[in-house]
This record gives sequence, C-alpha cells and structure tokens, in this order.
Amino acid sequence: MAHFHADFPWLLALCAFPLLGALACLALRRSDAACRVAGLVVSLVVLGVCGWLFVLLGGPRGTGWLLHEDLAWIPRLGARLTLGLDGLSLVLVLLTACLVVVGVLVSWRREKRAVPLFYALLLTLESGILGVFLSLDLLLFYLFWEIMLIPMFFLIGIWGHERRVYAAVKFFLFTLAGSLLMLLAILGVYLAHGHQTGEYTFALAALQNTILPAGWAPWLYAAFLLAFAVKVPLVPLHTWLPDAHTEAPTAGSVILAGLLLKTGVYGLIRFGFPLFPGPARDSLPWLAALGLAGLFWGAWVAFRQQDAKRLVAYSSVSHMGLVVLGLAVATPIACEGSFLQMLNHGLSTGALFALVGMIAERAGTRRLDELGGLWARAPVLAGFFLFFALAAMGLPGLNNFAGEFLVLVGAFRAEPWLGALGAAGMVFAAAYMLRLMQGVLWGPPRSAEPWRDLSLREGLVLAPLAVLVLWLGTHPATFQDPFRELARVLAASLGGAGGAP
Amino acid sequence: MANLLYLLLLLPLVGGLVNALVGMRLSRRLSGGLAVAAVGAAAALCLWLYWLADGQGTRVSLLAWLESADLRVGFGLLFDRLSAPMALMVTAVSTLIHLYALGYMRAEADHARFFALLNLFVFAMLCIVLADNLALLFLGWEGVGFCSYGLIGYWYREPKNADAGKKAFLVTRVGDVFLAVALLWLFASLGTLDIDALNARAGALAPAALTGISLLLLGGAVGKSAQLPLMTWLPDAMAGPTPVSALIHAATMVTAGVYLLCRLFPLVSLSAAGLQAIALVGALTAFYGATCALRQREIKRVLAYSTMSQVGFMFLAVGVGAASGAMFHLLTHAFFKALLFMAAGCVIALAGHENDITRMGGLRRKSPLVFWSFLAGALCLAGVPLTGGFFSKDAILLAAFSRGDAFHWSVYGLGALTALLTALYTFRLVYLVFAGEARGGEHPAGHAGHDQPLPRVMRWTLPPLAALGLAGGLLNLPAGWPMAGLLDGWLGPLGGAEVRASHALELTLMGVATALVLVGWLLARRWYARFRPPAQGGLDRFLLRGWMADRAYAWLWVKPYLAVGWLLHRGVDERLIDGGLDGAARGIGRGGRLVAAWATGRLSSYLTALALGLGAMLAYFLVRQWAGG
Amino acid sequence: MIVPFAHVLVVSAVMFVLGLGAVLLRRNLILILIGVEIMLNGVGLALVGASALWQRADGQVLVVFLMALTAAEVAISLAMVVAMKRRKGSLDADVFRDLRG
Repeated sequence: MAHFHADFPWLLALCAFPLLGALACLALRRSDAACRVAGLVVSLVVLGVCGWLFVLLGGPRGTGWLLHEDLAWIPRLGARLTLGLDGLSLVLVLLTACLVVVGVLVSWRREKRAVPLFYALLLTLESGILGVFLSLDLLLFYLFWEIMLIPMFFLIGIWGHERRVYAAVKFFLFTLAGSLLMLLAILGVYLAHGHQTGEYTFALAALQNTILPAGWAPWLYAAFLLAFAVKVPLVPLHTWLPDAHTEAPTAGSVILAGLLLKTGVYGLIRFGFPLFPGPARDSLPWLAALGLAGLFWGAWVAFRQQDAKRLVAYSSVSHMGLVVLGLAVATPIACEGSFLQMLNHGLSTGALFALVGMIAERAGTRRLDELGGLWARAPVLAGFFLFFALAAMGLPGLNNFAGEFLVLVGAFRAEPWLGALGAAGMVFAAAYMLRLMQGVLWGPPRSAEPWRDLSLREGLVLAPLAVLVLWLGTHPATFQDPFRELARVLAASLGGAGGAP
Repeated sequence: MANLLYLLLLLPLVGGLVNALVGMRLSRRLSGGLAVAAVGAAAALCLWLYWLADGQGTRVSLLAWLESADLRVGFGLLFDRLSAPMALMVTAVSTLIHLYALGYMRAEADHARFFALLNLFVFAMLCIVLADNLALLFLGWEGVGFCSYGLIGYWYREPKNADAGKKAFLVTRVGDVFLAVALLWLFASLGTLDIDALNARAGALAPAALTGISLLLLGGAVGKSAQLPLMTWLPDAMAGPTPVSALIHAATMVTAGVYLLCRLFPLVSLSAAGLQAIALVGALTAFYGATCALRQREIKRVLAYSTMSQVGFMFLAVGVGAASGAMFHLLTHAFFKALLFMAAGCVIALAGHENDITRMGGLRRKSPLVFWSFLAGALCLAGVPLTGGFFSKDAILLAAFSRGDAFHWSVYGLGALTALLTALYTFRLVYLVFAGEARGGEHPAGHAGHDQPLPRVMRWTLPPLAALGLAGGLLNLPAGWPMAGLLDGWLGPLGGAEVRASHALELTLMGVATALVLVGWLLARRWYARFRPPAQGGLDRFLLRGWMADRAYAWLWVKPYLAVGWLLHRGVDERLIDGGLDGAARGIGRGGRLVAAWATGRLSSYLTALALGLGAMLAYFLVRQWAGG
Repeated sequence: MIVPFAHVLVVSAVMFVLGLGAVLLRRNLILILIGVEIMLNGVGLALVGASALWQRADGQVLVVFLMALTAAEVAISLAMVVAMKRRKGSLDADVFRDLRG
C-alpha cells in the first residue's frame, strides 16, 4: 500500500464523484457528444478506482473493514457520514463500476432523446448504488437508497418502451411502499436506542447493540425485510420486475438486474440480519421457502414468455431465488455461494440484457416468434449470445455454475431436500434458456436483408464481460477470497447448520 | 508425464477454441486440418502416455477450481487403468471420425462451427474420462451435453433439427439433475468429491444412502446413455450430421453413463438393490431398443435404437457385477458402431441423400468397400461368432447367467431374446440396403449429388474401424482361449467380480448365442432377402414410433408443465397479484376523484371555507373557555 | 387612555368583519386585496390598543412589522394582479380556476 493515501476519504469521493459527473453533464447540456464522453470518462474513472482498490485490497481478507471513514454530517440528529468497505462491498462496488460502464456504452448511439439528462441520471444512479453498498449510517443508507430510486424512475419513464409509464409507476410504488416502512423502522430503532442510552445516533455499529422493547423486533425486522424483499425480489413481491426490466432502456435493464436487485440482498446482509438477529433466525425457514419458490416460479413463468427481454427478466427472479436460498440455509459454503452468485448473476444477466438490446435494435422486435436465425445473420453476436445464455443456464466452467454449485452443496448439507430441489431447478433453467436460444439463434432468418454484425463498441462491452464470466467460472477464488471469512461469520451468526423448515 | 497429461486435454480444447474464435477467417482446409491435427495429436499423445505410464496410474492436479470451507475441487486428472483404455479409445475413434468429417463436410459453408464443437466435444469427453473428481467429471458431462446440442442442431435453419437438439439437451439434463444430487449427497456424507477417495470410503455409508446414491447415479447415467425411461432423445438426435451421430451418439457420449458407473463401481457394487436396478434398466432398454429397431425405416434411426439396445447390454453388465464386461462391450461397440454410422453416412450419400431403407437396395454393387465395411460392422453388431461383438456380448450374458438366481436368469433370458432380435434387425438392415435392385427410382431422383463419388477420406476411414471391430474380441477372450482375459487382468479389481463359470457352461452359452444369431439371420433372409413393401399394422406403427413414448411423455410432462407455467403467469402473476394491485390503484384513483370535487378552483369558495374553518376553530376555543371557566 | 379599550376592540372587530365581507363577497381581485388590507388594519388597531392598555411596546412593534409586511405584500400582489389581468384579460376571481380538481 505504498501509494495509498489513507487520509483521503476514498469512499466518500467514490460516492460523490459520479454525482459531480452528473452535474457536469447538465452543465454540458449543449452538446450530446460531450455528455457521452463525460459519462464514459466519469464511469471509467470510477471503474479505475474500484479496480485499483480491488487490486490493493483484494485477496484473502478477514472480517474487518478494509477502509472506514467517519465524517461529521448532521450532529443534531446524530447522523454521520460513515462509510465502510469490507470484502463483500468491495466485490459489489467493483461490479457496480463495471456495469455502469456497460450501461454507458450500450446507450451510446441508442438513446437520442435528452442525452445530457440521461447520462446525468445514470451517473446519479451510480452514486446511489455505490452509497448503498458503502454506507454504515442508517440515515445515509436510506438517503442513498432513495437516490437510487428516483433516477431509475425517470430512466424507465422517459427512455423506456411502450408501456414505460405504467412500468415506472409500478416500480416506484412497489419500492417506495417497502422503503417507507423501512424508514419507519429505522426511526424506531433510532428512537429506542436514543431513549435507552441518551445518545441519538444512526450508526449501525451502535444500533446493533440496541435492546429493543419487547415485541418490537419482529415488526421492525418485517419492515426492513419487506423493503429488501421487494428489491430482491422475493415471490410474491416480484411482479414489478418483469414490467420494469422489459420497459426500461437497455442501460436501465442492465443496471436494474445487475445491481439494484443486489442491493436488496446486500441490505439484508448488512442491516437486516445484524440489527435483528433473533427475528432474522426465525425468518430463515420462510426465506428458504420463498427463495425456492422464486427459483421455480421465475423459471416456470420465464418459459412462457414471448418477449425475450421479459424472459430474461423472469430468469432474474429465478436466480435471485437461489441467492436467497443460499443465505437462508446459513451454512458457510452456501453463504459464500450466495455472495458469489450475486456477482455472477450481475455479470451474466447484465450481458444478456445488453445482448437482447443489441438484437432488438437490429430486428425491431423482441418477440421470440418473430426473431430467429441470428446465427445466419450475425454470427459473432450470436456466439456471444450463446455464451452468455449458457453461462446463465449454469454450464460448468462458466460463472453461474460456481455459485450455484456452492449454494446447492451448502443447502444439501443443511437440509438435503432443499439441495435436491434446488438442483432440480437446473432442468427448469435449461428449459427457458433453450427456448430463448431457440427463438433467437436458430431457425431460418426472417428476412433477407443483411445485419451489421458486432460493432467495435459492442465488442468492447461484451468481450471483457465474457472474460470475467470465464474467469469466475474457472477460478472464482480471485473474487471469493475477500468475502470467505464474512460468509463464515454470517453463517455462524445465523445459527450454523440449522435453518431448515 | 504430468504436463503431458494436461496437454492431452488442452490439445482438443485449443483446437476447438481457435476454430471457434477465428475459424470463420480460416480456409476450410486449414480449419478442418487443425481440428484433425489437434485430435490426432491427442491420440498419439495418449498412446505415448500409455507406454509412459507402464501400467501405473498417474494423477495430477493443476488449478484450484471451487473452494469453500471444506470443499476442495480442482482441475485434477487421473490416468489409471480404467481411464487409460477409455481415453485411448475416445481419441482414436475421434481421430478417425474427424478425418471422415473432413470429407463429409466438404460442401458445408459453416465448417468452423462444426469443427470447433467437435473438438470441444472431445475435450469435454476427455474431462469425463480423466477427471479425478466428480465435479470435473460433471463439467465434462454438461460439456458433452452442450456440444451434442450444438451439433444435433448443426443445420439450424431447419427448426426440426434445432428442436431435436433442444430435446436432447433437456432430456439429458433431467438425468444430470440426478447426477448432481448424487454429487451433493456424496459430498454431504463423505466430505469429498475425489473419485478414489469416494470409492475407498464408500463402505462407511449407510446401506440406505448407498442405495439412494446408486439409484441417483443410475438416473444420471440413464439420461446421458439414453436408457429407459430417458431414451426418447436419441432417435431424434440423428438429425445431426453423420460424423456427429457416429462420434457422440454411438461411440463416446452415450457410453459415458456406463463409464460413470464403472468409475464408481466399487461404490455402486456395495448396493445390491442398486445393482439390480441397473441390470433391470439395462435389460429392459436392450429389449426395447431392439424391438423398436425392427420396424424403423430410416437407416440412422435403426442404428440409434440399436445403440440404445447395446448400451443397455453394458448397463446389464454393470448390474450383474461385471464392470470389465461392460468396458469390453463399450470398447468393441465403439469400434463397430462408429463404423456402422460412418458406413451409413456413405450409404446415404451413395443413395442420393436418401435415408429411407425401404427405398434403397442394390447398393452392394455401387461401392463394394462400403458394403464390406458395413457388413463387418453388422456382423459384430449381430454377434456372429468370433467377431468382437460376439465375445463382448457373450461375456455379459455369461456373467448374468452365472449369478444363478431367478432374477438374473430372467435378465439373461431377456438378454438372449434381445440377441436374437439384434441379429434379426441387423440382417434386415443389410438386406434392405444392399441386396436386390435399387428401389430409389420410385421417388423423383432429383438429387444432384447422386453420382458424385465419395471422397476418398470418407471411404478409407472405414477399413481400420472394421479391423478393430472384428478383432476387438482379442481384448478380452474368454477363459480357455490363448491370450484370455487381457482386459480383466488389466483392470484388476476395478473390473468387478470375477465371473465364476465352468467351461462347459461357457461353451453351452456360446452355442446358444450362435444358434440365436443363426435363427435371426435365417428369419431375416426369409423375410427381407426379397423386398416387400413394409407392413402398416398397429404393432408396426407402435414399434416405429418407439412404443409411443414421445406421445406419452407429452401428456405426462410437457403439457402439465406448460399448463402450470400458464397458470402461474396468466393466473397468479397477471391476474391475482397485478390484477389485485391494479384494482387497488383504481380504487384509490376513484376515491381521489370523489374528493377532488371539493376543489372548485373558485377563489371565493376557498376563502369561504377558510373563514368558516377559522370561525369553527374560534367557536371551539370559546366554547371550551366557557365550559372550562 | 382617552378611548376605552372596549371601544377600540369593537372598532377593530367591525373593520375586520367588513374586510372579511369584502374578501368573501367581492369578485374583483383588487377589491379583495383592499378587503385584506382592511382586515389587517383592523388587527393592527387592536394591537395598538392593547399596547396602550398594558403600556408595553410589543404591540407597536408588531404593528410596525405588519405595516412593512403589508407594503411588501401589496407590491407583490398588485404586480401579480397586473400579470393576471394581462393573461386572462379579466380581474374576476372566478375566472382563475386552474386549480379545479
């Protein structure tokens, strides 16, 4: 760490920088090209910093904070700018930086309306997501949580497809309903702690030790859980997801699926479980059941979709169900698998959304019965599509298998039925993914007009993702090492091998 | 040595990747040549390793793959007495088939995809064969599944072909789930996935767990090997190019299930119930496949059903405890079935791209080389004495019979009946294709390639395989012959229980087998030597469609699956959840409009309301004042 | 005090009610504004009276504030009235109904 200036508030700067970039975009609103470049530069700088942090701080790590910052903010309320980076947030922050760059690049020529505002919102969104993954102060967390919501609302509502307003409002209402309850719960914990100790603070570390009045904990936990479950999403709170994903512009879908869904699980791990350990333990069987239900539900419904984007959206429900299952069985292996799977799902589903966007751009349709014959028209694009679809299907050697396998191994150990049922999800995943491949890749081309194959910009988006997918599939340890210990501790705190209904 | 072992895997992998990434830019000659060179080098290397190993096993591990808590899985390879002959067979047969494919694909534009997938397939298959842990084996297992999918649907413009690929992938994946659960179970109870360690520690498992795991392994093997009840994908898989059928759906991938069971034989053999289930599945599938093959009309479908049936024999061998018998049949079958498929590819080309054997005939004169090669394969398949197929099949039946209880006798009976049927359908095939006069004139012979000569590389890959198939018996001659039991001796304890049978019994069973073949041949000669239009009875249709299995599964699985998906999507997601929420939103909207009527927009009414409200508040305070005071 | 406080209160109440009446019953925006002024001055009168009664400066201070505020308010509201007149060509309060639900 020779060149590492420990005094500099890196994390705060990381959160604030995209926001400054957003302001710059608004200032540059006379030139669309300048805004694109600004967006790209800002997101690349963030990626650079995150990558640099990963190189410096990656590797096997314990459970402590790798970076921790604590600055004054609103002294009268006891709210501070407390930010912390541990192994899990390190990986997720890196994922965020990656996918925002993807988002910027896939919208390059595609979004033509109100370009400055688009990039400003995209960068604001990045700020919000980074803040959510970094903040350790509940008020700050809530602030970032809502900052995430608003740009996404406009991204869907302004740049979306046909039913964009319906989808945006639905997304907004679902998320807000959950997060307002979470705000109430945050205030509940805050007041209870202040009442008890006389020190009013929003700091997670302090609130963790609050002894809540009898009967409060389950309700407060339920409020947190609801907010996070909407975001994950858990069945039956998932119906906003297909609409939002389908109607969002490509960049929106990539970020929504790749990052926003992760914030739900992350919130649960960072805030929900530590603040309310008792109710959290009691909720594990339900979470396992809902995770498993989501796994099959999402896959089953995905199979019935006619819209390629909607199919991928439902596949997210399925994948996230597995992530929740891994957490809920609370064995070290399964938790580690869940963490890894968050990263995996972000990459492969993000790439799939980007690909569906590229294909829809060429074909003018996303309907599986109108697509087809992609291989004959754009073999390189088709090859990438096949690759990422296989990754999402869980082909061993590609990324999703590594996470899924760990989750299933851990789940089987805790409760054989859960592991066996989870494994049966493989067939379901194959069913919808094969349908997607069938509809997009194979069959005769629908018309004779030639298509442009992958452009350089699209290649720059997809090739690094493909390398990452392969890397994660064959040597996940690089990304697993930072959070190994965290997974072990989390599993231990949730009650070790138990957790079966 | 260790590095060389890796090279064995890397050669086809690199070949496949190069073809996949830049193959489109290469010339056909270069891309095909690269693929052949990669596999050929692997075969040569494998042979060299064979000498280097000198009967000793060797294992290497390179890279950590999946690690978490006590889970340790790496890319480790095991080159032992079981995997060595298998690897040799896979690479050798692959090389010949790659060569054949050079000729077969001579007119295809999209050659790079074909050779890339074919090479990757060899890589994945070698992963299965050489893996030292079950996770890596699973990687190969899924990998061959994917390559098979891609190659069956190679001519993807025809939706029928892509559908066949999809079906193959899905059905085998059902089996894969069982294998995956077996993996999870093994790790949960033994704490390792290392194959040697699993075999060594299997005794520590509870009997119920052993049976459960054995059945799950059987489930996995059944999917990949197209055994009952997951057999329906194999006949449809013939939609792929012929080299693919020869390599994947005859010689290598479909025997992966057998190999898996042999690999874990020390574990599986501890469960008597598991073994019986394996034997039963094998015998029933052998019979099923043979009956279906009797009435097929497409040459490749006949061979597909016969593959299913022969793999059933191998399962039967494992089930009666003769793993070496299974491996023996696996090897000879790989030779002669690859030969039959490749010859069938030549036949189809010679007949002007005609698949239907009832429209062939008289091909013997067109290409004697193809005829004699095909005949050699057919003799092996039918089990004509002294061919490779005869000895390997006989060893299995002997092992079954000599176990000496009612179950095994009935299994033997089924096997013997199947042997009769096998001879019958094999000679039916030979007569219909080669004997008599050409019947191709019945349909408009508009195919252009009618008189194109076969590429030399296609024809001349046949004789080596014919030689291997015919002489395959030498690998493991029965006791009492010179050089007897080579494979048994080589495999040693890996080969399962030694078959104890008297010499007299052995000779008797051989006599029975010979008689069955003879009967089969005579029946076939009587019915098919002179062509008659095929019968169209109910039974014929039933057999032609594989006992209506597809239709039954459509009713049993596909339709319920679609219905539940529809229910969850339209019913629950859209109607119940979204409908309920949209209804609530509409209700709130209606309430809002009701309240909105108050907002007239007239300043005077607002001010009046303001004044009235103020007055009311004042009045309230006054009343309280007086009441309180 | 020369004038009894009760009289002051009565006069201020009368002013207030008169102003309120003007605000409620008139439809011309300028007359409504004049009504508001009368109401404010009624209140101011009561404050001054109370200040004289108790010999405390608070009431006078408030009235001074009130006057300053009123001046500011009138400046803005008259400007708005002019703008509204330009926009709709009328000063009838009921013409401006954009807030109707």
